[in-house]
Amino acid sequence: MSDTVPATEAVILEEQGDSAPRGTPALKYALTKIGGALISLVMVIILGFFAFKILPGDPVKAMARDRPMSPEQMEQLRKQLGLDRPLLQQFTDYIGNVFTLNFGESYVYHESVASLIGQYFWNTILLTGTAAVLAISLGLWLGQKAGWKHGSTFDKITSGTSLVLWSVPTFWLGLILLMVFGGTLHWFPTGGMVSSSPPADAIGQVFDVISHMVLPVATMVAVVYAQYVMVMRASVMEEMSADYLTTARAKGLRDDLVRTRHAVPNALLPAVTLVFMHIGGLIAGAVTVETVFSWPGLGKLTFEAIQGPDLPLLQGTFVVFSAIIIVMNLFADFIYRWLDPRVRRA
Amino acid sequence: MRTRHRKHLMRVLCVAAATALMATPATMASASAPSGIRAAESTAPPTSDADSKTLRIATSGFVDSFNPFTSIYLLPTNTLRYTYEFLVQFAQEDGSPTKGLADSWETSEGGKVWTFTLQDGLKWSDGEPITSEDVKYTYETMMSDPALGVANGNLLANLDSIDTPDEKTVVLTMTAPQAPNPGVEIPVVPKHVWEKIDNPAEYPNDKDVVGSGPFLLESYKANQFITLKANPDFWRGAPKIDKIQYIYYTNSDAQVQALRSGDVDMVTGLTATQYEALKNVDGITVHSGQGRRYSSIGLNSGWKTRTGEAYGNGNPALQDVAVRQAIRLGTDIETLLDKVLGGYGVLATSFVPASYPNWTLPADSPVIMKYDPDAAKKKLDEAGWAVGADGIRVKDGQPLKLRLFVDSSSITEQSEAEYFVPWMKEIGIQVDIESTDVDTISAETSAGNYDMYFSGWSMGADPDFQLGINTCANLPTGTDGSGGTSQDGWCDPEFDKLYDEQHTELDPEKRKALVQEMLEMNYEATAQVATWYANSLEAYRSDRFTDFSLMPKKGGIIANQSGYWGYLTVHAVGDAETAKGGPNVGLLVTGGVVGVLVIGAVILLMVRRRRSADIE
Repeated sequence: MSDTVPATEAVILEEQGDSAPRGTPALKYALTKIGGALISLVMVIILGFFAFKILPGDPVKAMARDRPMSPEQMEQLRKQLGLDRPLLQQFTDYIGNVFTLNFGESYVYHESVASLIGQYFWNTILLTGTAAVLAISLGLWLGQKAGWKHGSTFDKITSGTSLVLWSVPTFWLGLILLMVFGGTLHWFPTGGMVSSSPPADAIGQVFDVISHMVLPVATMVAVVYAQYVMVMRASVMEEMSADYLTTARAKGLRDDLVRTRHAVPNALLPAVTLVFMHIGGLIAGAVTVETVFSWPGLGKLTFEAIQGPDLPLLQGTFVVFSAIIIVMNLFADFIYRWLDPRVRRA
Repeated sequence: MRTRHRKHLMRVLCVAAATALMATPATMASASAPSGIRAAESTAPPTSDADSKTLRIATSGFVDSFNPFTSIYLLPTNTLRYTYEFLVQFAQEDGSPTKGLADSWETSEGGKVWTFTLQDGLKWSDGEPITSEDVKYTYETMMSDPALGVANGNLLANLDSIDTPDEKTVVLTMTAPQAPNPGVEIPVVPKHVWEKIDNPAEYPNDKDVVGSGPFLLESYKANQFITLKANPDFWRGAPKIDKIQYIYYTNSDAQVQALRSGDVDMVTGLTATQYEALKNVDGITVHSGQGRRYSSIGLNSGWKTRTGEAYGNGNPALQDVAVRQAIRLGTDIETLLDKVLGGYGVLATSFVPASYPNWTLPADSPVIMKYDPDAAKKKLDEAGWAVGADGIRVKDGQPLKLRLFVDSSSITEQSEAEYFVPWMKEIGIQVDIESTDVDTISAETSAGNYDMYFSGWSMGADPDFQLGINTCANLPTGTDGSGGTSQDGWCDPEFDKLYDEQHTELDPEKRKALVQEMLEMNYEATAQVATWYANSLEAYRSDRFTDFSLMPKKGGIIANQSGYWGYLTVHAVGDAETAKGGPNVGLLVTGGVVGVLVIGAVILLMVRRRRSADIE
């Protein structure tokens, strides 16, 4: 945040005087960033193979755990899973397939990893998307208010609450909400995405899904919104000393309008890029919440793949989660450049 | 000034809108198909009035497929137990063979030829008759294609040929005589359905299943539900409930909460703490039944391959039976069971659980050694291990130090170790704990790189397999532990001789005596210290369902039996309303909250508009 100096006259001048030579540097900037992202992606893909291959344990033995199986049966299973082939061949097959988004077949589900991920992806987006939108709006809104009146009781309460919630373990908070609002009060369902006997009408079904979303979304929002509060609060505080706010006040604008019209838009710059960088992490962070609330998404899929252990599925979710984070960071870079002229000039 | 800020604000709004848009398709997608993933595979969910006769069971089990030839995970194989009848079933009373598809069976040529006579008038759920051709098709399919033998191929390893002289007779000719009934545990599938499937090994078999058992698979949504419906034509009579529905809960504490709130009717695999907490809850009955799993502390008595090549880095001290026996004498399994398992289990005597009374080694067997640290010390003294200055025993300059693997994620194992280590110290053995993940433990123990670890197996109703994996023939072929399924790496030619005898002994009493002799032999050799047969802790909504059937009938379990008895007699109590209140309140509250939020947002927007219009 230290590089976020208040808007200077130079910036204003550039904004008004339209852009200078932008074409070539912009392209170069884009290519550098995209190139970097691609290199990261390739490394993730290679790591995705070896990280799970060096794990101790034999997946076939783990599957046959507690089941009377003969060595011949296990050998057959190993052959079916392609584990009898040399490591190098497994690797070249993997690399060849991965660029067509083919991660092979899940050991457990006997289904292609790509189609499994495709099925669960939207459930995760629904859950984390909702949580992200709520956490971001709530966090930014509370943050700018707290920053504007920093030191006030409102500020103390907001920062205090959000910091406490931020430091609470997600798993624990989720279970507490589940026990209180699910097990004891019976207000919300205790898990899953739809009821075991969902209502017949479409509206009823939508509300059914919403009621299943309340507790997991609340958990995610509670744990996540603090970082937006903090970023926005700090950002607004930095803007507060800027000259243009004095000018705005001198125009006779009410304090509220000075804040919402002038301070907040500028303060949003660092916050927005941070938001994009966080969204990737938020999706990956769904593992805990989805596990507590049995939400059929990528997080739960990953959790179960670890227990399997279902290596192709683990590879698949690992690459997908990493790719989301890489792409979101790339977005953040572009958006920051687009929003903040100082980056363009640099 | 104003323009600049407007511009900024517009850009920020664009970004916000883009973020919101990202979430929208998901919302739309699931609004149009709220039943979520794999909607195509599911048939209609149970209607509300049928709910009172739908038994909802919480599960976190894996499903590979419902293919009876290839499925190996517990949950689907249990489901297959309900869907497809075997030739011979395990009895509810004590697990001995009883009627299945076959009415009767007889053996000739000393157990080499088994002749089964099918019951009259048996029908598949689609109305087709069940004949000996179905059995022949099932067995031959498993034998001819290794991919179809993955699940149960080992049960037919000894089968030479199968003949069907008529529609009701099945003759199995074995390559060598055998006492265990070859008709158990193999789901017999309808030939007229399966012969039409192009690639049976890949067939998921998760819809429109034609079967012969008490319940048939109706629909399956991965990670959400498995729904089974009652088979009204089941030959023992139709079940008294309409449906069994397995509902997915990843987290076991969430399962308990779901039972409390009435979202599910039954939860299994409870911990002692969860069990205690549910004990006095209204409308819930807890049940502690004798499980079919044994737990032990595995000792590395020196792993060898089948050709006698030693491998692994186990402490050679453990190759001395006196040291292993001293460890057994110094371990107070009674206290372990009481303190670690909360007493919910039976003291183990061998690797055959007490829930199989025909086979288990009785607690009053003369070989059983009671906890006796003094006797343990004496044994170590006699074996030449003298107590050193620090209390640790020494022989030939080597201190008696043993490693113990502990699964870092298992509270049970960790607390077991807390008792075990001081007990060993008392008799002069230093135990160093290596706490790690279960995959590492599995890899290291396969390679023989351990001294001690916590182990266990679940066992079927016939002890033949479990005895078999203690014979020399099941030692690994490679020094990496591959090619075998030995239980503890121990083997004794005397034991192998008895194994062959019991394997062909058709007189149940004589076979029982042989098995007991083998268990005694294994006990004295102390290849492991068997600790307990943990009870299976279950809880159900007794305000909704009653009359579950246990297996074994006395003190047995409801779920995960080696039979299909658990849900045959269960019926609804009728008072279904209490459990159904939950989600509806949730709906109302959610609706209310969403409504208030929307109205609030609209008002806020209007107020702001008016304000800005006033001022600027």
